[in-house]
Amino acid sequence: MITLKEITKQYTRDSVGLKDVSMHVGAGEFVSIVGQSGSGKTTLIKLLIAEERPSKGHIEVGGWDISRIHFRDIPLLRRQIGVIFQDFKLLNKKTVHENVAFALQVAGAPYKRIRDVVPRVLDIVGLAHKSGRYPHQLSGGEQQRVAIARSLVHRPKILVADEPTGNLDAINSHEIIEILKKINDFGTTIVLVTHDKDIVNHLHKRVVTLHDGKIVVDKHQGKYQL
Amino acid sequence: MVSILRIIKFALQDIARNISLSFMTVLILVLMLLSVNTLLIVRAMTRQAVVTVKDQIDVSVYFNHQVNEEQVQEVRSYVDSFPEVTDVEYYDRDAVLEEFRVTHKDNPEIIASLDELGENPLGPTMVIKTREPQDYQKIITALSIPEYASIIEAKTFADTEKAIEKIDTITRQLEQAVLVLSAFFVVIAFFVIFNTIRVAIYTQRREIAIKKLVGATNWFVRGPYLIQALIFTTISVAVIGVVLYGGLAFLDKYIDVIFSTQSFLTNYFSSNILAIAGAEFGGVLLLTLSTTGLAMRSYLRT
Repeated sequence: MITLKEITKQYTRDSVGLKDVSMHVGAGEFVSIVGQSGSGKTTLIKLLIAEERPSKGHIEVGGWDISRIHFRDIPLLRRQIGVIFQDFKLLNKKTVHENVAFALQVAGAPYKRIRDVVPRVLDIVGLAHKSGRYPHQLSGGEQQRVAIARSLVHRPKILVADEPTGNLDAINSHEIIEILKKINDFGTTIVLVTHDKDIVNHLHKRVVTLHDGKIVVDKHQGKYQL
Repeated sequence: MVSILRIIKFALQDIARNISLSFMTVLILVLMLLSVNTLLIVRAMTRQAVVTVKDQIDVSVYFNHQVNEEQVQEVRSYVDSFPEVTDVEYYDRDAVLEEFRVTHKDNPEIIASLDELGENPLGPTMVIKTREPQDYQKIITALSIPEYASIIEAKTFADTEKAIEKIDTITRQLEQAVLVLSAFFVVIAFFVIFNTIRVAIYTQRREIAIKKLVGATNWFVRGPYLIQALIFTTISVAVIGVVLYGGLAFLDKYIDVIFSTQSFLTNYFSSNILAIAGAEFGGVLLLTLSTTGLAMRSYLRT
């Protein structure tokens, strides 16, 4: 599903995000990426969603080489990969329903499809009853659930989660991880970047540890270790 | 088609949900248009002032009192043949005498001397007006030929020559000053509008980044902002239209007294409404659209 071949990302002469990283994530896998700050986790996410381009190497997502992706194809890629962030990245001036619908509207989805899909994904994350609220009227956990709902509208094969529980308390973090597990059970590949030791150890899934831009540990049913 | 409708919907939604920012943007546009229109008013008034002053200037040709009607008509035809001449008024001897009496009615000595003469000592007079003050010299030169030396007693141009030259200089300099001032205002307007829109877009950079992250194309992100630019331009030009007509009606009360005109400013703007409104709408729209495009460029790269 995701293949990284000898990926290097060099920002400046002295600043290297990733060094010669190669890994493969199969369809339906749940992979946790861990590592200290500056280890290259965020760079990896940015490369996967084409926010950055690798200095060297190839990245394939769903068989599509995105290392040299054309500028106009980036929106198409992003409609195929669900992404959620620590800061939720919701549009503050739009309601919950509008935030989720927006991801479909940008793809030119017809009104009927939007009417069908949005309530369904909001139901999956348990927020159907709050569709008319604005993000600032929701708790952190609820905001993250809106972000997850938004990432699901295109039924993505891959969902990338960048520190999704970083701003949440333990209960909300647990809820978010349960939702991600549920999504994974339906066959979606999950790439989870996290600092949370408990979450990683509780998952019992594959763990990739980054250090100084390199993969130092890659274990199936691994544990959090730096 | 669905996308265009959505872009328009988002533009209207953004305006309503960022109402204070929208209001400030329109206000800045209105203020800038007000400055430009103030300059137009000053320009129109300057031109009218020059026209009024120029209108006061003429050349009077005083004929010998023994001149006959045939000779006067010959001179008149000759003067009329110049394309620079806009008006020639002829006063015969009786009219000149009558005018002289009216002018000096409060001076009994002059009137008594006139009566004592028993006959009209004054010759006919011709008052000539030309398009431009500099044309007067040409007419005077043309009339200073030997054939007319015996029938033309005097020409008053020499007295007003310097005044005309001065007015000419002032007119030229005033027009240059207004031109420089206009250019200066346009530059200021450009920077103020440019920065207002830049700040407005800057405050929404997070939203723009999020829209890109969920797969929006650049045109889908840019579209609502361009529609907003169009709406802001339309509203500001409409508002300035209303403000201007109210202001002009008020100013006309005072301006008309100075220039002896009727609704001078209102008429000036009414007769040029399409050119002025069109140029201002086009100019502001071009400015807001290009500024929006430029301001958004850096946020649309990723």
